[in-house]
Amino acid sequence: MLTQASPTTTRDALAGLIPVSIVTGFLGSGKTTLINRLIKRPEMNRVAVIVNELGEIGVDNDLVQVSSEQMMLLNNGCLCCVLRGDLQETLRELFIKRRNGEIIDFDRVVIETTGLADPAPVVQTLLTDSMLLDQYRLDCVVTLVDAVNAPGQLGEFSEPVKQVALADRLVVTKTDLIAEQPLAALTGRLREINPRAPLRSATNGEIELSFLVDVGLRRTQADLEEIERWLGADEDHEHERGHVHDETVQSFALRFDKPMSWTAFTQCLEVLTALRGPDLLRVKGLVNVEGRSGPMVVQGVQHLFHPPLELAAWPGEDRGTRLVFITRGIPRQTVAGLFAAIGAVAARSGSRFPERPARDRPN
Amino acid sequence: MAVAGSMRPGGPADHLILNMKLLGHNELAGFGGIGEGINMQKTRDGRRILWLAHESAPKNFTAVDVTDPGNPKMVIQTDLPHADVRSNSLDVVGDVMAVAYQTKKWGLKPAGFDLFDISKPEQPKLISHFDTSGPCSRGAHCVWFADGEYVHLTSGAADFEPSHPKDDQFYRIIDVRNPSRPAEVGRWWLPGTRKGDAEPPLPRHPRFDGGYRPHNTNVYPQRPDRAYLGYIDGGTIILDISDKSRPRLVTRWRHSPPYNGFTHTVMPLFNKNGTMIVTDECVKDAGEDWPKLAWVVDGRDETNLVPVATLPLPPVEVFSKRGGRFGAHNLHENYPGPCSWRSDHIVLGTFFSGGARAYDVSNPLQPREVAYFVPGTPRLAPKGSSQINDVFVDDRRTVYAVDRFGGGVYCLEMTV
Repeated sequence: MLTQASPTTTRDALAGLIPVSIVTGFLGSGKTTLINRLIKRPEMNRVAVIVNELGEIGVDNDLVQVSSEQMMLLNNGCLCCVLRGDLQETLRELFIKRRNGEIIDFDRVVIETTGLADPAPVVQTLLTDSMLLDQYRLDCVVTLVDAVNAPGQLGEFSEPVKQVALADRLVVTKTDLIAEQPLAALTGRLREINPRAPLRSATNGEIELSFLVDVGLRRTQADLEEIERWLGADEDHEHERGHVHDETVQSFALRFDKPMSWTAFTQCLEVLTALRGPDLLRVKGLVNVEGRSGPMVVQGVQHLFHPPLELAAWPGEDRGTRLVFITRGIPRQTVAGLFAAIGAVAARSGSRFPERPARDRPN
Repeated sequence: MAVAGSMRPGGPADHLILNMKLLGHNELAGFGGIGEGINMQKTRDGRRILWLAHESAPKNFTAVDVTDPGNPKMVIQTDLPHADVRSNSLDVVGDVMAVAYQTKKWGLKPAGFDLFDISKPEQPKLISHFDTSGPCSRGAHCVWFADGEYVHLTSGAADFEPSHPKDDQFYRIIDVRNPSRPAEVGRWWLPGTRKGDAEPPLPRHPRFDGGYRPHNTNVYPQRPDRAYLGYIDGGTIILDISDKSRPRLVTRWRHSPPYNGFTHTVMPLFNKNGTMIVTDECVKDAGEDWPKLAWVVDGRDETNLVPVATLPLPPVEVFSKRGGRFGAHNLHENYPGPCSWRSDHIVLGTFFSGGARAYDVSNPLQPREVAYFVPGTPRLAPKGSSQINDVFVDDRRTVYAVDRFGGGVYCLEMTV
């Protein structure tokens, strides 16, 4: 498929952008171990990894081809570089150096965040910085959860909860160090906070690259599978409806069959962000906008949203607006009520995206 | 500060690449120096033949079978009669190919253009030669042949004596409807450039006198009554050729001086923004004549062309030091033929050591670089870097970029 020539005379707004994966997780959750394992893989040959400190990732000298204070090129072609100043600066500099031929022609970036960091600003940077938007796209937020310490941390600190809430992928580490029952409890807890992100466990940072990449939309001609991969599957219906166990973070989906005007949609979001911006942890979805042939892709973190992007066509028959919300204390009814009041659209009962029978689908 | 290339495993032999995928490469049997003539023929037996004009002697033109761009195969390579002539430019319409000939000095032959029957690509057959040699002529530098009826030519002529030696070529329209008897039907030169003109000779460029003569003379089916000329130091010229026997000046946009001249290609995109792309050719090594730019021009009012942006290039500080020239040159010209890709949004250009680069000009005020390919330095490269000279995109969206010296042809897939 890749070599198939396309006669199209326009550019796909997503296809040319370099995907960025963010690896986050609380202190001791094993980010460094995971990065250390990851960068040695042969398929990392065109990946630039942004780390907090080169020394920390502990790569054997034998594996290093060239190194400077700021960068290290491994024998497999993987480039590690230190986060300098802020992320914007580092990502811009990386692209400039790539263009100048000073570093490898990386085609993917992996960012390791600091353990204490709130990942929201990192995601926001990628969604809203106009210079970065020309070159990069957010592919995936991967959150590492330390099976031993997370149960305590999740109750004690707000950052780990937020890290879990924002994730597209969850990786539970150190699972070999705890018993089955507490592990099940932890998994249940993670599912409450974020029921949509696929979850894997990893010991000693061993995890396949494919779990961590190609989650975000790669092209505007995305098919249903790609859309669902990005939005997250309903792996656990119970928890989706549930979320009663958790007082703070909730995840729900809204679905509207009727197309809405772009103005109405943006007004809803504006009201929501103005009143509850900090509690709107993550929003993503497709919107059926009146008069548009393809769905509008929406994604945001707290009060900042990616510039709207129209897909080339609807993937599949289903033309409904589907929005996924992860919030801190904003219940589904509030958001649905807002859309009903401002957008004059009613959310369907049942928040999931069931495959509807063909006869129910609008033409 | 990292040393350039140090964080690249392959060093200078490595390609710089963004949103392009190298499918195939052919060094053309050691004669990999290609000029600015690339065009494609679909043969009756279904092959795609890429025709390439060489930059200089000893080779004339080379045909490469690119039916599978992953495996470009040379079909034929021809020789020039002597070393003081170059072909440089060609175009293909159906099974007929026009090839330009320009000599190093006035008075030499062959000068002008040939028409070949290429129905059998392995055996091009000469149909006719149109002679433009003369006491003050080097012959033809560039052909534009798209409608099968007229060759729009940059050439001297036996009866043309320039007021300055560098102004020895002008615009000529040659009727080739009878390909065995090409005949001139019209001509135009910038007033003042021919000895005996009523107008005085034009002032020379103070630093880089490239002369006043056309380079590319493009005519598109969307506007068959217009010729778009890059006129070297004369800038951008649009002619009304509704009466081919009497081309008339519609507009002339000069930006040199203060810029450094050598306007090369004028390409209208015929989109709703009236966008035109104008390139100035870099003709000096090591950044001496920088900036040589590709301009985005608002041509909604053709009598008042307004430059609104330039295609962004990587830093001159880096690329002028790679060796040879760095700056604008040729474009993929949205050639009207059936084998050519055409886009009024995406523009591809060549920039010598800056390689082949693609831009999205949907917003003409903010053109965006969306892809590039800078080949690693070819073996025995005389300038120390690749010097990408011309680019052509076929209707499958396969990109062909050619090196001016030894690199040959690179076949690429653009993934934006």
